[in-house]
Amino acid sequence: MFDSSLSSLGAKVVVATSSDENHPPENIIDGNTNTFWMSTGMFPQEFVIRFAEPTSISAVTVDSYNVKRLKIEKNSSQNASQFESVTEKELENTEGHLQSNTISGIGSSATHLRFIITTGYDHFVSVHRVSVQN
Amino acid sequence: MVKLRARCLLVGDAAVGKSALCHMFHSDGTLFHKNYSMTTGVELLMKCVNIPETSDSVELYIIDSAGKETLVEACEKMWGQPSLLCLVFDLTSEQSFANCSHWMERVRAHWQGLHVPGVLVGNKSDLSSRREVQASVAQEWAQSQGLEYHETSAKEMNNFDAPLLSLARALHSLYQERRETIQNLSPG
Ligand SMILES: Nc1nc2c(ncn2[C@@H]2O[C@H](COP(=O)(O)OP(=O)(O)OP(=O)(O)O)[C@@H](O)[C@H]2O)c(=O)[nH]1
Ligand SMILES: [Mg+2]
Repeated sequence: MFDSSLSSLGAKVVVATSSDENHPPENIIDGNTNTFWMSTGMFPQEFVIRFAEPTSISAVTVDSYNVKRLKIEKNSSQNASQFESVTEKELENTEGHLQSNTISGIGSSATHLRFIITTGYDHFVSVHRVSVQN
Repeated sequence: MVKLRARCLLVGDAAVGKSALCHMFHSDGTLFHKNYSMTTGVELLMKCVNIPETSDSVELYIIDSAGKETLVEACEKMWGQPSLLCLVFDLTSEQSFANCSHWMERVRAHWQGLHVPGVLVGNKSDLSSRREVQASVAQEWAQSQGLEYHETSAKEMNNFDAPLLSLARALHSLYQERRETIQNLSPG
């Protein structure tokens, strides 16, 4: 599964706070770090990924730029609501290249993962890829 | 099509015309309050600005913050992390101009290292016989602070929308610049 993009496995981005037509949230799960979703101003920013079926997740890798604080939540219900907190992390600033952070300890199975970007190193941040390790 | 969003902080001494300016801006020039009603906290106004020659727009969340010294501290807690700055003084009050440097210090503490596009606004240009601050002096100081200088009259509807329109455009250019940078990034 590691090599397949989330979208090819039926995952979808069901919520995203920002939109630039040219950089839609689907770019987060297409497995390609050359395409990205870009925030269009102010914090917090968030997006929610829905998996096609309950998925056991040992870790997620997030490729991004200018993200400072990232919160991850999950649930195992049909709806994108009532999340439980998983982790909160301060990411390192990487000038000129992407941030790549693997976050483990997601725990048991999930149907939704919610990513909340509470602050950034700039007004605008981007997320290039989220991949999941089972 | 892109819809940007920005927190625009509006500060300056009491009675310089901050609320007058943003209400005029918000109402497209139809609402001017002749009688002074002091802002005692922060007032939030939202206005969507279209960027000329594009299909893009910027939603400005204008935070009109009280100018009275004793109220400022409480307001500061509600400033959050601003993306834009509009610093206003009264062209007929030398003191309100002198205080602008204090305002800059205060707001800079909230930048958190980010580049925040800003404008300096000399308001009440209609009261020309009472002018105490010369345009060249204000212009020079603005430049030293990296601010763009504007003179306005909320009362006579002169140039009243220029500062905030210019900020919206500045944010739009910043977004395009950043997007370009991100497009050219190498993988982690
Ligand atoms: N002549 C003239 N009067 C103005 C102008 N703009 C505002 N005023 C008047 O100046 C007074 C103060 O204006 P406000 O907009 O309430 O001032 P403020 O900066 O919001 O003041 P605080 O809320 O106390 O911080 C009011 O009586 C306004 O009518 C202007 O361009 N020309
Ligand atoms: Mg006011």
